[in-house]
Amino acid sequence: MAEKIKLYDTSKCTGCRACQLACKQWNALPAGQTYNAGTYQNPPDLQSNTWMLIRFQEMSNGNGDVKWLFRKDACMHCTDAACIKVCPSGALFRTKYGSVALDRDKCIGCKECISACPFDVPRYDPVTDKIAKCDLCFSRIDRGMEPACVKACPTGALSFGDKDEMIARAHARVKELGGDANVYGDQFVGGTHMLYVLTEKPDVYDELPERPRVPLTVIAWKDWFKPLTLLAAGGVLAGSFIHYLTHGPKDTSGDDQAGGEGGE
Amino acid sequence: MTNHWNDIENSDCVLAMGSNPASNHPISFKYVTKAMEKGAPLISVDPRFTQTSARANIYAPLRSGTDIAFLGGMIKYILDNNLIHEKYVKAYTNASFLVNPDFKMPGENNGVFSGLVENKYDKSTWSYQTDADGVILKDPTLSDPNCVYRLLKKHYKRYTPEVVSNITGTPKDKLLAVYEAYTKTGKPGKAGTIMYAMGWTQHTVGVQNIRAMSIIQLLLGNMGVAGGGVNALRGESNVQGSTDMALLFHILPGYLKTPVASLQTLEEYNKKNTPATNEPKSLNWWKNYSKYMASLLRAHYGMNVTLEEAYNYLPKRDDGQDCSWLTLFDSMYKGKFSGLFAWGMNPACSGASSHKVRQALTQLDWMVNVNVYDNETGSFWREPGLDPSKIKTEVFMLPCSSFMEKEGSITNSGRWMQWRYKAVDSPGVAMPDGDIMTELFYRLKERYEKDGGPLADAVTRLTWDYGVKDGAGRIHHFDPDYVAREVNGYFLEDKVIGGVLYKKGTLVPSFGLLQDDGSTSSGNWLYCNSYTEKGNMAKRRGNEDKSHIGLYSDWAWCWPLNRRIIYNGASVDPDTGVPWDKKNPVIRWDGARWKGDVPDGVAAPGAGRPPFIMKPDGVANIFGPGLADGPFPEHYEPLECPIEENLLSPQFINPTIVRWDEVGTGTSVDARATCDPRFPFVCSTYRVSEHWQTGVLTRWAPWLAEMQPELFVEIGSELARLKGFKNGEHVMVKSVRGEVEAVAIVTDRYKPMKVAGMTVHQVGIPWHYGWVTTNMRKYVHGDKVPEVFTSGDSANLLTPFIGDPNTGIPESKAFMVNVERKGV
Amino acid sequence: MIPKKGMIKSTDAFERLVHWWLAITCIILILTGLGMMFHSFNFLGTPLGGLKNLKLVHNFTGLLFAPALFFAILIWWREAGVFKMPEDLEWIKVAGGYLWHVDDVPETGKYNPGQKAFFLAVAIFGILMVASGLIMWFPLSLPSGLVQWMYPLHALGMLVIFPFVLVHIYLGTIGVPGSARAIFTGYVTRSWAEKQCPGWLKEMEEEGRLEIYGEEKEEAAHG
Repeated sequence: MAEKIKLYDTSKCTGCRACQLACKQWNALPAGQTYNAGTYQNPPDLQSNTWMLIRFQEMSNGNGDVKWLFRKDACMHCTDAACIKVCPSGALFRTKYGSVALDRDKCIGCKECISACPFDVPRYDPVTDKIAKCDLCFSRIDRGMEPACVKACPTGALSFGDKDEMIARAHARVKELGGDANVYGDQFVGGTHMLYVLTEKPDVYDELPERPRVPLTVIAWKDWFKPLTLLAAGGVLAGSFIHYLTHGPKDTSGDDQAGGEGGE
Repeated sequence: MTNHWNDIENSDCVLAMGSNPASNHPISFKYVTKAMEKGAPLISVDPRFTQTSARANIYAPLRSGTDIAFLGGMIKYILDNNLIHEKYVKAYTNASFLVNPDFKMPGENNGVFSGLVENKYDKSTWSYQTDADGVILKDPTLSDPNCVYRLLKKHYKRYTPEVVSNITGTPKDKLLAVYEAYTKTGKPGKAGTIMYAMGWTQHTVGVQNIRAMSIIQLLLGNMGVAGGGVNALRGESNVQGSTDMALLFHILPGYLKTPVASLQTLEEYNKKNTPATNEPKSLNWWKNYSKYMASLLRAHYGMNVTLEEAYNYLPKRDDGQDCSWLTLFDSMYKGKFSGLFAWGMNPACSGASSHKVRQALTQLDWMVNVNVYDNETGSFWREPGLDPSKIKTEVFMLPCSSFMEKEGSITNSGRWMQWRYKAVDSPGVAMPDGDIMTELFYRLKERYEKDGGPLADAVTRLTWDYGVKDGAGRIHHFDPDYVAREVNGYFLEDKVIGGVLYKKGTLVPSFGLLQDDGSTSSGNWLYCNSYTEKGNMAKRRGNEDKSHIGLYSDWAWCWPLNRRIIYNGASVDPDTGVPWDKKNPVIRWDGARWKGDVPDGVAAPGAGRPPFIMKPDGVANIFGPGLADGPFPEHYEPLECPIEENLLSPQFINPTIVRWDEVGTGTSVDARATCDPRFPFVCSTYRVSEHWQTGVLTRWAPWLAEMQPELFVEIGSELARLKGFKNGEHVMVKSVRGEVEAVAIVTDRYKPMKVAGMTVHQVGIPWHYGWVTTNMRKYVHGDKVPEVFTSGDSANLLTPFIGDPNTGIPESKAFMVNVERKGV
Repeated sequence: MIPKKGMIKSTDAFERLVHWWLAITCIILILTGLGMMFHSFNFLGTPLGGLKNLKLVHNFTGLLFAPALFFAILIWWREAGVFKMPEDLEWIKVAGGYLWHVDDVPETGKYNPGQKAFFLAVAIFGILMVASGLIMWFPLSLPSGLVQWMYPLHALGMLVIFPFVLVHIYLGTIGVPGSARAIFTGYVTRSWAEKQCPGWLKEMEEEGRLEIYGEEKEEAAHG
């Protein structure tokens, strides 16, 4: 099965938020009471009941011109997914499409993925004691449909398709746009399965890591200490066995018979 | 829309002005994006940097209410630089017509056109010179000083970039950048489109805003071509349809005129309303007026009565009587109404100067509120602060089905009549509107039959064939399919036309076959052809684009006659029939007939028939004498504005508007504050993607309320600094008529403007909110409580009670306010 | 394993209680930890009704582990927490005679440097485990930069403690016969004591504090 990519082209996004709504609808996520904090962006951040949202950001340059940036924030579906690495239960798993899906039944609410994610995506729901995040509409793509957000997008800012084709399309679009436009996602964490075409440099965008990577802590934890533990424990067991065979037990009997080792 | 949504894709330049399609018509942006991908620039002209501006190649700010100055400057730019599509202008417009030499224009006549008497024009000088046979004199060289073209040039000579920039606040470089980009579409084969919405209509010069753009489109040859046209983005999915079906007081279905008292007979009425022309080659389609009227009367009354009787039954306005929104509510406010059906609307929030509307409702004896949810209109008597025991109005709530719970058609902005099916049953006792109306009709009819009354027959003899009838001739379930057929029309007797026999009871295939002798019916002549013997055309779902320009002619049905781009007769060279745009031809002549879209108005190439057949003279009007406020658009300041004079003329505001604010006629709710230091900031109302209209449907939808939970006011960073506002803090927005509490969104997307040498700040506020869905009110047993509360009341509590002289649409896009910290 | 006459008392009841308290919680923590550390050990959650319960058991066992650790440190830090130079160094040089033949293993006190190392590892990393574990339990209320580092530290603790525990079990059972008795009954044989903690034995004898099973205490244990 070919890997799939959701391509998000910020140059075509109008911030209409049809995607945000479609996400809630398909995933039956309830609304929460919100307040206006001086921005169109609402809910203010990803939540256990908000798996994706459009971030609104204003940017003024020196000559008085203003830009209004929209960015769809949701799971990036990394190939080197730190969340999968740290998930103790296998609840987070890679699908055959390359996306990172979540088996809610398996989630034990340990929140390890939350601190591991370089994009700050997973959210914890205290009511169900589980985490929640975009699963690239596994229930849809596994039936040959595009994710709900893509379906709802009126402008074509969102598209979904085979990995190579989407990457090629992204680069072609960036070439077309010129300037600071860039492809974001294929150069790190083994390549993401949500790919951005950004009109501005990545560091311009709020809450967007410039060079995201699997955190050192996760690497130390999972790539170093975890195998070392196995190695050490195995070594000790084997060593003990060999020691017992070659050295035998330590002789602690001596010549003192009082309290000899009965039953030995 | 003269064109349609998909057609935007064909455009070579998209101008979004008086609209914010990215937010409010998100689907349209699919086609805008496609046009942009093909290289078309998007221009956004708006006081506020919007979601549309965020995608635009050029953004130009302008002060609310100065669009005519902006567009007038563009007309001057076109004429000065000779960017017109010359052959088009000469053949298809009245540019060459010679105007009455007594006609005077504002530049030479103190800011008004000739003929102004008090606040009305005597239009006798707004006429053409004719020869002895009454044929209009023309100068094909466009050099006669009295020809329309020269007058146009003279009129807009005053609209220099400097003056325009000084009025609009648009920096001159931006102004010229817009002019340059857009006017490139004057080249034959190039098309520019305008997407406008309430940002143009809701002004005291609303109609003239659109006229100005129409003139530009004609000069550039952009009417009738693919990717061109003048495109109104409707504020509701079915506003086009409801207007076609006579939503407004001055029209009957199909834009026939409402009868007035002085026209006592059908003959007089037809004579008055059927235009005549002496132009030898003009088709003058409206000469068929009497056929459409006769067919309409037959649709109402069938063969029960004669056409003359049917005409007599029609209600008649007094001559010149204005029954538009503002007048109605002013009359209600003054106690002249006893009852009101508020059907699918929420005037307590949507009405300009909503305090006046809310007070007007208290003058009623009864009101019937038909809606999906409770709203501020139905519950006006229990608005926080009101004492219900002091209000006499008896209110009836009739829950009705939402659009998903009933069948029927909607006609979208592109004039496509599309059938929709019922998806789910209505909850509780809610009923489809058609069933409510049927029940109402039978009750009224019974009452009239029992008690009689003036013109009782007007009701008792109506046909009501909208479903399967029982033995007593009564229907029990309203079936919109029957309505669709009646709207199309039947032959009421066997009829031979052009050698073809049309049997009694069959559907009329086209409005060309409608008769004035009473042998045909048609509920709306424009929709004749929508339901033929082949079936309901609105149900068609063919998605093949045979035209290759996105006409999708087998998808649903489009009025008139499934013509997707109207005025397409002007898309070809008049002599050769070759399309101006060979890449995207709307129609083309194959030697024997026209191919492509349903041709509009054209005869064979070279035949000389002018294609604007809905105009008596067959050509499009650059000089438009039909409007109340002048044949050419002229800039006037909004009723409320920040500057003390009109920089173009001594006439400050539109002289023809109906005034309620003047001494002796109005009260505090009609008050006006122009150049008043208490209200120093220009304000516009607008919408957001997440809410619809007054929010009655969307405020109750938790997902939508979650995204836009609170009334906000957008304030420029500079102004916020001056006033000491912090982003996200609650402020009071006040006009002379009312105030609302809102969250301040402090933004760089509003910049101060330089107007008449002063710095002018503009703010903006959405109008979707209302007190019913807030948590500041009391909910009693039986009240639905929103899952997500919203906060804030209607922004229309601020807007002025004033409207356009032609349509009466209120000026809610330009008025003056102050913004203060809460509690000051 | 009932003590016989002549055996020497090496641990008191509280020591034994704390040891087993610590040992049992530690083993549960290790097992449940393994259940979450390796997907192939996820099955360890099955008898508990799933991994979620396993996590709960792990977390609450951690809460029980903490006081045991506290008492263990209190009890043993003097005897097992401080290296005595130079004899401990000498002992280390010959690996206590465990790995190759050594004619003369330097005498150690009650606990040899190997045991001291184990104690210190458990003490230091145990504290780390409790602290990091608590933070990992409630990660959302703390800065994520801090939380992030808790996971590798926790894993490092496992890396250190787990092998030590295995060694401890080996040497405490079949590796050094007679050791287990000390922590079950409190008594060891004299010969075991002579081999394992001759220094301590001498000291106790000199001070006359030695308690021998079946004999009246010659002197009341002072203080």
